[in-house]
Amino acid sequence: MNSRITRSMLLIAASVSLLSGTAHAQSPVIRSPKPALYTRWINYSPANGFPTGEVYCVAVDGARVWAGTSHGLVLLEDGRVKRIFTTDDGLAGRAVMSIAVDKQNGDLWAGTFGGLSRYSAGKFTNYTNLTSGLANDLVYGVALQGHVLWVATAAGVNRFDTYTGTWSIFNETNAPFQEPWAYGISVAPEKVYVAVWGGGVLAYNLANETWKPFTDPDGEMELVLYRNQGLIHNIVSSVSYNSETKMFWASTYFGLSGYDGRNWHNYLTKDSGLASNFINAVQSRGNEEWTSTQSGLSELDTKTNTWTTYRRDEHTGRGEILITHADGTKQRIPSDTGLAHNYILNTEFQGDDIWVATAQGLSHGTHALPKE
Amino acid sequence: MVVCALIVFVGRPPILAAAAAQVSETSQAQPEVSSHYLSPIALQLSQDGQRLYVVCEDSDEMLAVDTRTRRVIGRARAGKRPKAIAISPDGKTLYVSNEASNSVTEIDAQTFAIRRTLATGWGPVGLATDRTGTTLYVANTLGNDVSLIDLPTGLEQSRLPAGRFPEYVTLSRDGSRVYVANLLARLGPPDQPPTSELTVIDCARRQVAARVDVPGVLQMRHIAELPPSAGGYLLVPFMRPKNLIPLVQIQQGGYLTHGMAVIRPSRSSVGQARDYQVSEVLLDDIDHYYADGYGAAATPNGRWALVTASGSNVVSVINTLPLSTLLAGSPARRQELANRLDSARKFVTNRVPTGRNPTDVVTSPDGRFAYIANRMDDTISVIDITQQWLASTIDLGGPKQLTRNRRGQQLFFDASHCYQGQMACATCHPHEGLSDGLAWSLETPQLGRDVVENRTLYSIEGTEPFKWNGKNPDLETQDGPRTAMYIFRSQGFNSSEVKDLVGYIDSLRLAKNPHLAADGHLTDAQARGKFLFFREITNSGTPISSLQQCPTCHSPLTHFTSKIQIDVGTATKYDTITAFDVPQLEGVVMKPPYLHNGEALDMEEIWTRFNPEDKHGLTSDMNKAQLNDLIEYLKTL
Repeated sequence: MNSRITRSMLLIAASVSLLSGTAHAQSPVIRSPKPALYTRWINYSPANGFPTGEVYCVAVDGARVWAGTSHGLVLLEDGRVKRIFTTDDGLAGRAVMSIAVDKQNGDLWAGTFGGLSRYSAGKFTNYTNLTSGLANDLVYGVALQGHVLWVATAAGVNRFDTYTGTWSIFNETNAPFQEPWAYGISVAPEKVYVAVWGGGVLAYNLANETWKPFTDPDGEMELVLYRNQGLIHNIVSSVSYNSETKMFWASTYFGLSGYDGRNWHNYLTKDSGLASNFINAVQSRGNEEWTSTQSGLSELDTKTNTWTTYRRDEHTGRGEILITHADGTKQRIPSDTGLAHNYILNTEFQGDDIWVATAQGLSHGTHALPKE
Repeated sequence: MVVCALIVFVGRPPILAAAAAQVSETSQAQPEVSSHYLSPIALQLSQDGQRLYVVCEDSDEMLAVDTRTRRVIGRARAGKRPKAIAISPDGKTLYVSNEASNSVTEIDAQTFAIRRTLATGWGPVGLATDRTGTTLYVANTLGNDVSLIDLPTGLEQSRLPAGRFPEYVTLSRDGSRVYVANLLARLGPPDQPPTSELTVIDCARRQVAARVDVPGVLQMRHIAELPPSAGGYLLVPFMRPKNLIPLVQIQQGGYLTHGMAVIRPSRSSVGQARDYQVSEVLLDDIDHYYADGYGAAATPNGRWALVTASGSNVVSVINTLPLSTLLAGSPARRQELANRLDSARKFVTNRVPTGRNPTDVVTSPDGRFAYIANRMDDTISVIDITQQWLASTIDLGGPKQLTRNRRGQQLFFDASHCYQGQMACATCHPHEGLSDGLAWSLETPQLGRDVVENRTLYSIEGTEPFKWNGKNPDLETQDGPRTAMYIFRSQGFNSSEVKDLVGYIDSLRLAKNPHLAADGHLTDAQARGKFLFFREITNSGTPISSLQQCPTCHSPLTHFTSKIQIDVGTATKYDTITAFDVPQLEGVVMKPPYLHNGEALDMEEIWTRFNPEDKHGLTSDMNKAQLNDLIEYLKTL
């Protein structure tokens, strides 16, 4: 953690240099609440061996990076595409929507549109609706809780005990699912959160085996009567539990919601720096909420209430960073490199680096280090 | 291939196994005794070679033998059905796996005092510690995984998925990896050759580094690793079946052969499967077979390797120099070896007789002696490796009188009753009654038609008739001479021996069903599944015809079988009949693949793929959750 703090301080200094537009090798480090910025982007596309099309998800396993795409599962090592796995290699389906790496045994679970795949030491084992207890072959989300795998499918949620081989299904018959489409899943020590497309967020309490729904108080209305009245909309695309803040965050197609156990914290484009209300995914870590929107990647620093949005200039291909401070003031910072595309689907972190899944390739963002 | 196990004959007396000849002498009208046999199954030598630790699976104990006096000097009580043993790097601690207790017993190697009992996964067998003695790797046969136990705390840290039915485990000589041999081949299409897996665990990362395919074989057991100076190969005994062709001819390995995988490991501990060079050689001779390879060991210098043939009461002594030469040929040449019955004579220098049913083998630190556990006569054979002969036999002190079941058990493991000793009952029913998971073309007149899946022997008492066509009304008939002529191609047992064998087979039970709570309490899902099993109406309230209700054909009153033949719509164009014997469901979780031809690789497929007309029970109205519940219940039987 200490090294991370030190690095962050250095990065803050770097960002200040960028903001001021000058190099300050001899300048004293200026303390600033401004965030560390990702100013260097390396993009993976067919030009450097990456498959064409959408990248739905990305997962980090130490030095290795896995990307789920519309054309298979991609393994990157040392910044290069090492292998692309397709159904010919045994993958259950071509489109890989979600990935979870089991830190205990190194196995990888991939949720695809042809079922669930387990990749272990070079071999795929597949689980489908016909050959296992999987509720549906459209698998949107996977998450591990010890040796239990949670699976979000188009027909509810599965719990799969990898030790006993026992499958359980949660759907409208035994849980408050307003809709069957489970789009995402996130685990906490004692709870499991499910993003339900059209059904809000469902929280499962492991201790008493009960479900609790979190839904939009104003139903399907696409407006918010009172800003923090509850979940912003029932069309929830993903959910992310933050073990540090004990909050869960839900991305919807109509804004961002966070819940701290007592109060809701909602964000819309009209009153924040959020790039778009149409959000495909959210990832919460520390005091940062990373939202993958249709118009760029937006990060909320909840401590400073500062928004930072990364976008690609479609004309120049270069990047731009838009900072919206708590007082409403805005700054625009150009960068030489930018994201692969502004339609963002997901994010993942590798230390301080960020990996961004976009509609046209995978992006790897790094901070600019201060000059010596 | 249930018929295989049940067909028994009086064959010619084994040529090499003097001990085996006792069968016919003792099988006549012996009084029943209620003694516990020892059944030594696993060995471990102390580092100085002065103590031999012997695991006895039937008496639930570990014995210590002084190798100088060759007497038992101590014993320790283990859990239920102990199967294997490991020793800590400092030699002070022993670990014994207890297959039926799901635990490992930690024993003081000097005092034989029990220190701790460590919880494992399901059905632990093989085990090994790492170089530092901080992690214990335990292969869980029923869980198909490997438990990693942190020895300072005694707690399981993680489980790594293995292949299917992982049994034996070996730490590599350099300590960088753990090798796991899986008894059964991976589940796959029944019309394809089996492929088994050697699972390789990287000790540093504590993850599976490679899953090495060993094609065309199954029943891989103990692993011996030669030192680098002898090529560094892994030697793993196997059985190589010919189940994809009609069993018309038995000679020249027509049914199956026995041999060993010779695997050159990756140079790197994190090497992938493709970095492992897999060759297969046969240990059989062209006119005699050395059935059911089990134990494997090498001398410290790697010059000699020993592989026990548990069905033939023999240990094959292998000169690794000509073996290495043989393997130095071209890839095409190496590939040929898997089917050549004239290879063994080039590297097997001797076949030394052992006691009955030799299993594990270990070699002394000086490379002079090998010790072999003879499971079926409670002895240890001491082999002088230099002279390549049986130096002595250590009597572990088991009961001398043979019960009917013991006699039957001895017959079960004995391949001498088969033509040229090609196989025993245990060959196709490893692990004392398990199905080998293969579909065989047994019905000779049909020549390739009526391919049927092997069936388990667990809990078959009272489930007659037998065979998938239900033609054999009882086990005695099943073991009769007609069928035997098609399988063992030899003479049958006498009537007394048939009774012994039937008595033994009737006694076989699934040791412990891990899916059922110890007190028999059903989980909510299992209880819901039970309700579905016994339901008489559909989800919409429509009555289900009795022929479509589960208990009609799988009656709980008779081991979950109606003991008749039913057409459940699973016959294919290759079958000459459409109605098949209803299998008992007890232990069904252990029986994949399913259906008469093994087409259903898991229970779900019985109904999701092979029951389109609801002839195999009315299941089409069930939703996925209900089907999952039904399966959860079936797994408890």
